[in-house]
Amino acid sequence: MTMVVPIGPQHPALKEPEYFRFEVKGEEIVDVDIYFGYAHRGIEETLARRNYKHNIYLSERICGICNICHSTCYCQAVERVAGIEPPERAKYIRSLILELERIHSHMLWLAVAAHEIGFDTLFMLAMRDREHVMDMREIISGGRVHSATNTIGGVRRDVTPEQIPKLMEKLDKLEESVKYYINLFQTDRTIKSRCANVGVLTKEDAIKLCAVGPVARASGVKTDIRVEDPYAAYPNLSFEVITEDDGDVLAKGMVRLREMLESIKMSRQILRELPSGPLRVPVDLKIPPNEAVQRVEAPRGELLYYIRSNGTEMPERVRVRTPTYASAPSLKPMFVGGTVAEIPIVLWSLDVCFACNDRVTLVDAKTGKVSVVTMEELRRWRK
Amino acid sequence: MVKILPKVLANLLRKPFTVKYPYEKVEPADGYRGKPSITKEKCIRCWQCIRACPDRAISVDKETKTPVIWLGRCTFCGECAEACPTKAIVMTKNFEFLDQYEK
Amino acid sequence: MNTILDILSFLFNSIVFPGLLFVSVVGMLYVGIDRKVTGHLQHRIGPPIWQEFLDFGKLMTKEDITPSAAIGPVFTAAPLFALGSLAAVMLLLPVASAQPALRLTADLIVIIYLLNIPAICMILGGYSSGSSFAIAGAGRYIVQLLGYEFVFILSIAAIAVKVGTLNLTDIVSYQAKNGWLLLDWKLLPAIVATLIAAQGKLLRTPFDIPEAETEIVAGPLTEYSGPKLAIWRISYNAETIAVAALLVSLFLGGPTAYTIGNVRIPAVVDFLIKTFLIVMLTTVVRNIVARVRIDQALKFYWTFGILLAAISLILVMVVPQW
Repeated sequence: MTMVVPIGPQHPALKEPEYFRFEVKGEEIVDVDIYFGYAHRGIEETLARRNYKHNIYLSERICGICNICHSTCYCQAVERVAGIEPPERAKYIRSLILELERIHSHMLWLAVAAHEIGFDTLFMLAMRDREHVMDMREIISGGRVHSATNTIGGVRRDVTPEQIPKLMEKLDKLEESVKYYINLFQTDRTIKSRCANVGVLTKEDAIKLCAVGPVARASGVKTDIRVEDPYAAYPNLSFEVITEDDGDVLAKGMVRLREMLESIKMSRQILRELPSGPLRVPVDLKIPPNEAVQRVEAPRGELLYYIRSNGTEMPERVRVRTPTYASAPSLKPMFVGGTVAEIPIVLWSLDVCFACNDRVTLVDAKTGKVSVVTMEELRRWRK
Repeated sequence: MVKILPKVLANLLRKPFTVKYPYEKVEPADGYRGKPSITKEKCIRCWQCIRACPDRAISVDKETKTPVIWLGRCTFCGECAEACPTKAIVMTKNFEFLDQYEK
Repeated sequence: MNTILDILSFLFNSIVFPGLLFVSVVGMLYVGIDRKVTGHLQHRIGPPIWQEFLDFGKLMTKEDITPSAAIGPVFTAAPLFALGSLAAVMLLLPVASAQPALRLTADLIVIIYLLNIPAICMILGGYSSGSSFAIAGAGRYIVQLLGYEFVFILSIAAIAVKVGTLNLTDIVSYQAKNGWLLLDWKLLPAIVATLIAAQGKLLRTPFDIPEAETEIVAGPLTEYSGPKLAIWRISYNAETIAVAALLVSLFLGGPTAYTIGNVRIPAVVDFLIKTFLIVMLTTVVRNIVARVRIDQALKFYWTFGILLAAISLILVMVVPQW
């Protein structure tokens, strides 16, 4: 005898509207259906109706948390279509803001995860330390959330030598607190009792269901677009791909926390080795017919942009595949067999971002063919 | 549990990290992209800002024949300030305002 | 003449001091301080300490809504009964002096019963409100009640066996003669168990499972709003004081008057300080832990909690007095 427990579209555990239909037997979850599409905004269609330059700011609005990933990925895709190469300094600045975004996104994950397990003190402390990253982003890009730094053919703003000591100081503060949180996550008994052996995703399932980003890495799959398909300044940066073997919520948290340390290390390296040179190259926005796929490792995993140009100032088609969409199928093995009380933390362990996601769904339904092409593209790029 | 205790108790003695915002202002960093402001005298009516604006937030005021910004649509990207050849449009640090026309 | 005086003093006791008015005002103040201290522990400013009064005032002026799916009379009566039982329990607890306002032979049992009524009222209110979140919360509350109540009673039993009485006044006067029970090593496990049970009784993290907001909104209180929610807030604040007062009488010696120099400090001040310390202890604990799951909470109470209480009980019964 099973009972249906609806979670969403409005529910305090969900930060954005989405509908999950859980079939439970007592407290145990036996099945889950995921319904997407409550935050659809028609962005892909709009992207095809505006010119390349205006689209940068629209692509930033797909997701607030990972806006730099979206604009970087979009700009790089357009650069690839137009066949231009941004200058080295621009690449480094792109990498810097991308890494800062990873830190701030993972910090937000930590805070909300703490809130989901009822640890409000950790929530407040993590939000406090996240403020350092936000300040750094404000110094570099002039905006706390939407950076508006990327442009086609380079970046719009420079990192001046006067800013570097200030940024280094904030990185030091950040490193200290991240190390403390890693220690806390490893030792705190109440956190362990809520996170260990909960929402386990095995390595086989992760590969089978095409999980991406920290979710896959927490299950022992060593996948990282920064290594597999290097972009921006990543070929010149030294970092290691963090993996954990357990695949539970604790492992996913540890992957994110340790990634933050790597990001801090990379940010330092970028600030030290920042090459001199121009910030952007001029671009002719009448791009001849061409198509390109570009991938970026967003904080949540692999982000993919496909752009087809047709000789005008507007793209003919822009297709976005966000990491949450790729990881969503792996929610099922994580939920099934667990209890109802685990739902919020397991759901959040994926670091779900529905605002990104739902731009995808309806277009999928409408133009199924395009999505199939993209899947083939995807497979080709994966191997 | 025990690990966080000293950290938490130490917070009791420290000054709170948060500030009482409307009474205590926090100055944004230099180069912050706040409310764009237009100096009408400098405007040479080239309308580069209108072309650059990704949100179509800039229009021409019928009386003074200068650009006006609809702040309800503006996303504060700073493209207009970048495009303006005479620096008639600059981004200020002001972020406390409501939806209104910037004239 | 005497009867009228008795009635008047009873009314005064139950409505003003130490009953309804006193316990509500002090409760709201303490929970306000609790929120302020929580803010500072989390490195933020936090609300002003009179925030609970403002919340109460605001809620009282709001519209009174009973959902159409709710069983009206039970839904409305639940918060009133909860508050009433807490005003009654204050009459049995020593506040102004070692003597409570009302003396009974075995008042400890009555106190334990009365302190359970708010929990039961909350469960009834949750079940009658017709919301699935409230029903889930009420179900969890029942499980939690089974968990902490047994530990609470068992550790109080250890103290009662030690003193040899079920009368709270006798326990307080015993402590006045022989020193605080807190200092008795045989009772230490039981006292720790009592504090753990109190954490669950007051629905503070890690045992705020019935009203876990990320899982089931506000638990049994999901459908409550306006004046009814205001009464729930007051009865929660009063419960904080009542439980703290019971703990103070059980092992912190109860309210005692002191004379420092020539100034005589009344027992009420002592009572306020001691209850404040207990409330602050629960505040700190709730800020350094994560919420546990309901099965983990039950397991924790029924193994660790009962073990602690049982050790004390056995020690008290077996180890001879010296």
